[in-house]
Formats: sequence, structure tokens, C-alpha cells
Amino acid sequence: MTSRFDLIVVGGGTAGCVVAARASDDPGRSVLLLEAGPDPRPIPDVVADPKRQTELVLESPYVRMYDVEREDGSSFPLLSGRILGGGSSVNNLVVVRPMRRDFDAWQRFGGPAWSYDALLPVLRAIETDEDFGDDPIHGAHGPLRLHRAFKLDDPADPPVAALIEAAHAFGLPSCPDLNVPDPFGICSSPYNQVDGRRQSTVAAWIDPVRDRPNLEIRPDTTVTRLVLDGSRVRGVEIATPGGTGIVEADEVVLSAGAFHSPQLLLLSGIGAPGALEPHGIPLRHRLDGVGENYQDHAVVYITFAGNTELREDYVIPKVRLIAKSSDRLDHPDLHVFMRPSIRMPGVAPMLPVSLHLLEHRTPGRVSLASSDPEDLPVVEPNLLRHPDDVEAMVDAIDFVDRLTKHPSLARFYGELLTPDSRDTWREHVLTAYDTYHHAVGTCRIGPAGDPGAVVDADLRVHGLDNLTIADASVLPVVPHANTNLAAILVGEIAARRLAGRAMELAS
Amino acid sequence: MKLTGRIAIQAPPEAVWALIVNPISLARCMPGVQDIRQVDERTFEGTISAAVGPIDGNFVFRSVLTTAEFPDHLVVAVEGTDSVTKSRLEMDVQASLAAHDGATDLDYRAEVKVKGRLAILGEMVLRATAGMMIGEVARCLRSQLETGEPPDPASVPSIAGDPGAVAPPIE
Repeated sequence: MTSRFDLIVVGGGTAGCVVAARASDDPGRSVLLLEAGPDPRPIPDVVADPKRQTELVLESPYVRMYDVEREDGSSFPLLSGRILGGGSSVNNLVVVRPMRRDFDAWQRFGGPAWSYDALLPVLRAIETDEDFGDDPIHGAHGPLRLHRAFKLDDPADPPVAALIEAAHAFGLPSCPDLNVPDPFGICSSPYNQVDGRRQSTVAAWIDPVRDRPNLEIRPDTTVTRLVLDGSRVRGVEIATPGGTGIVEADEVVLSAGAFHSPQLLLLSGIGAPGALEPHGIPLRHRLDGVGENYQDHAVVYITFAGNTELREDYVIPKVRLIAKSSDRLDHPDLHVFMRPSIRMPGVAPMLPVSLHLLEHRTPGRVSLASSDPEDLPVVEPNLLRHPDDVEAMVDAIDFVDRLTKHPSLARFYGELLTPDSRDTWREHVLTAYDTYHHAVGTCRIGPAGDPGAVVDADLRVHGLDNLTIADASVLPVVPHANTNLAAILVGEIAARRLAGRAMELAS
Repeated sequence: MKLTGRIAIQAPPEAVWALIVNPISLARCMPGVQDIRQVDERTFEGTISAAVGPIDGNFVFRSVLTTAEFPDHLVVAVEGTDSVTKSRLEMDVQASLAAHDGATDLDYRAEVKVKGRLAILGEMVLRATAGMMIGEVARCLRSQLETGEPPDPASVPSIAGDPGAVAPPIE
């Protein structure tokens, strides 16, 4: 087994697969992709078939849980995909671009290279949008195929038609494409599936190039630390069922995700002294921002009495609301999904609605539980700690409560059951929130001299010669969108930067 | 997950207490309980059959009455496993009774811990379902204690359809 490569990608998640596939476009570059989870071939039906999403998440071995606590001591799990493809192999297959305002926010940390205008060509290159094709904002030639299962002018089931009518009455316009720069209203959702099969980054990026002689994929391989030699990363230390070893490389890309990229840096002695000292890890390279700035999206479920049966396909929800929690806002800060009924024999039907706050004002932290690489890191999400976030969620409950009282929706929705009285809404928000599973930010972008920055605008770790981070951990602000496409975007950006650097070195 | 609430019952505390400390009686008020059997003086085992969202299976449980001091200190520990995700659920329930104008206020406080994949559905499905089940239990208790009659099964809503339509929210 080769023990030296031009490039090692640590982590075959959403972004890591993109980086490895794109980096191997150069036949002269040897690429090793290391993944802690399995690489089952062929892709198991439970992963590939979106209709088996429930079984995938609740029963398959491909999902990992990270228990976290709310302030009241109750707990809920964060999740990640433990299989090649990472989150893209286990998520609900939505393809949602960050909003223009997210690029504006990222630009403040990463400069003009992170602006919407600069990255629109990359977004277009990623996708084949089967509904819009080749136009100024969509792409027609990228690896990721997407389409909208339902368009707003399609004949709609009564509950969907009722929701559209109520949304219009509340000033939410039809939004046939939520991948426009500034989406708002009632939107049809795009999905990355082809002929009923999941288009993970394994299916879309890795499988077409899997047989390249310069690309090696090693699943079931845990990277336990980066091996530093001064300011260079000489390689990585790995553990497999067959033993441990070191693999060397000229370049290393860390794509282990918002939980494990900072964990691996800390295990390698890269971080704040205070984060390493309790675990007896010697400081090799000081970067105080490692593991800080954790951001995510809080979710709160509310449940109405069902006036009738609301049959809807949750796995591929046809529409979502991109809404404002308050009319005072100049931009949307919510995703709202009307969920299908919960049914239990002997109990009246219930209709849940999920409220997804797209902003997070009190960043959390990822830290080490121990110096053992097998131990999961400690995640403190700090969701809903800021009064404005709590207020936004309470306002969101009020908005949806009013929305469901519109005559069109009142056919389906009865009284609000959970939480019941208005004076319990705030308590419900604080004790029952969950997550949208959109962790970002723990190795964020920023210029040299920014004490919280871990990587520069080119995604290279500050102060180290040959270490790049390519996953959602680099995003300095959580976008107003699902994060899978953002992770793919980061992977594509990293691949382009690496290609450019290789050309520079060659010249 | 923590659940608290109050059930007001037009019956004296002694009658309410007699019913709630007897799991066999209480089980008649719980939707989905298929069988319940006494293991010893304080321990009961049983099975709840339920289709809750995507979970369509059995929940095998054991409950232990750890404290029963009339009227204000009832503590029950429940442990169980669901047959689909093999998740383990632990629930500590505390209840107390207070006489109130010839009636009884039953205050309850439950802390539920789920270990395993079922926790993914905690806030989406379990909290609302638990709330509705508690509501159903309250309705049944009132029916038994205020009228002496068990509830008419036909009055309990029965819902048919595909139980697998709710999927976990990883988007």
C-alpha cells in the first residue's frame, strides 16, 4: 500500500469527495481519500432510495449522533453521516443555495473572492438544473443534477393549495426558484435525485472517476492526528482495523466536517493553549479560533390539532416558506415546513409545523472530550441563547398560528396544542428546540491577524505551509439556507485553489 | 425532554390515588397498551403497540413504583426499548395530589431520556405524542372517576393510513 501521495484528503464527506475527485482531474497528481466510515459498493439501497430515508436515519449504521444539552439539562442529538459522502449520503437531498446576503457576510471575512458575483460561476458549474438549464444564474453542465418535484403552477393537493393561498394572503409571493439570490415567499424545493436515486457527492463526483489510477480511496480509516514537521504537515497518522501507520503527502486537505476538523487540529496540537493543556497535548501551532464560532440553525416544532387527515410526502416536501419572523425585518430569517400528520391509534391526529431559524447570534464551540481520537468531541451549540433569536422563534410561532387560522388552512389545522397557551411559547422555545443539522464555522475564514481566523481566503491554515481546510467548518457565518450545497461549494473552491497553487509551483 | 402539567379531576384524592398507583387500572387509560403483568409488589411489565410517525412497532417496558406516599409523593421509574430502532427510553415520573374544592389536582412532572436513534424524533414526534397521550389519560381518568364508566372506545379517534410518512429532519 502506497505511503506517500501528492495530496491527502482527510474525510470523505460532502466536500471531501468533491475535493478528491476534482484534484484527481490532474493525472499527474496522486490523491488519497481517507474516510472513517465505510464505502459500501454498490451504494446500499437504503442510502440511494430517498423513499427509505426514515430507515436510513433511524436504523442504518451510517448516521452518527452527538448528544448535546440545552440549558435546562435536557438533551437532543446532532447528526453526521458516517459513510463516504458524509451528509450528502444521509440528508434529505435538498439543493439550496446560500442567499446573496450570506456571500456578503462571508466577503467581510474572506474578501472579494467570496462575493456572490465571484462565486456565481462556481455555483453554476456545480449543477445541472433540469428545470432552468443554462441561464445567467443556473448551470446545465455540472455534476450535481437537481430538479423541483413540484412547481407552484402544478395541480396541487388540497393542503398544498391551501398553504399557497394562505401564504399569498399573508404577503408571501410565489417563489418558483429558491436558488435566486434573494428568495422569499412560498417556494418549490429543488432536490438532487436522478430517477429516484440519491445524487450524493459519491454518486455525482466520486463514482465517475473512481477507477482513475491516481485516486485511491481508503474507507474505514480513521485519521488520528496530523504529523507536523515545523510549519509543514508531513502527513497523517492513521488507524485501521489492520493497525496504525503514517501516510505522507505534499499537501493535506482536512475535510472532516464542523465537528471533526477542529477535533483533529486540536489532537494535533493546533489550537488555543487552553484547549490543549487539559488533555496533555503539546502546543505545536497556536490558532485560538480552532473549534470556536460554532453556528447552526435552531428548529422548534409546534403541533396543531388536526381537523382532518393531512397526507403529504415529507421526504420530498413540495413547498417551504421562506419567511420573516417579523415584519420589521428587511430579509427572511425562517424556513417553515408544514409536516405530515402524526398518527397514533387512540390519539387524535396532530399536525406539526417546523420553524427553522436561519440565524445564530451566539456562536458555540467544539472542544476535545479527551486526547483519544475515538472519543467524540464535545459540542456546545449555544443555540437560542441570544434574546433576539428567542424572540424570533416566538414571533415565528405567532406568525404560523395566524397563518393556520386563514380560512383555507383552517380546514386542516385546529387549535395549537404544543405549546398551548401563548404564555408558554417562550418556555417551549427554550426547552424544546432542536437543530436543522447545519453545523458550520469551527475553523472559520479570516485574514492573518484576525484572532478567530483559522484559514485564509484560499482556505489555507494560517501559519502552516501545506494544510487546507475544505468543509463547512470554514464558513464564518451560517447561511440562510441548508448547508449541503455550501459544503459542496467550499469543496469546489478548495479544488480550484489547489489546482491554481499547483500551477504556480510548476511555473 | 421534560413534561409537566396538571390534571383536574372531580373526584376525591383517595379515589384518584387508588387508581393511579395501580398500573393495571392505569393501563386501561393508556392508548396502545396491549398487555401488562405484575412482576412483584412494585414492578410491572408490559407492551405498548404503537405507530407513532415512522415508528410502527412495540415498546416493551418495565415500570417500578419507587415511592408511594399519599397524597403528594408518587414516583415511578419506567424503562423500555422500542422494537424498531432498539432505542432505550428512561422516564422518571413524579406525581402529587392536592384536594381542591371537592376535586383533586394531579400535578405531574416527567423527565424522559432517550438513548438511541429514537432521540432524533424527540421534538418532532415524541413531545407532541406524549402530550396527546397525557391528554387521553386525563380524559380517561376523569371518565372513570367522575362517571365511574370507562371511556367508549368508539369515541377515541382512530387514524388509518401510512405510518411511515414522517421522516427525520436531516436537510
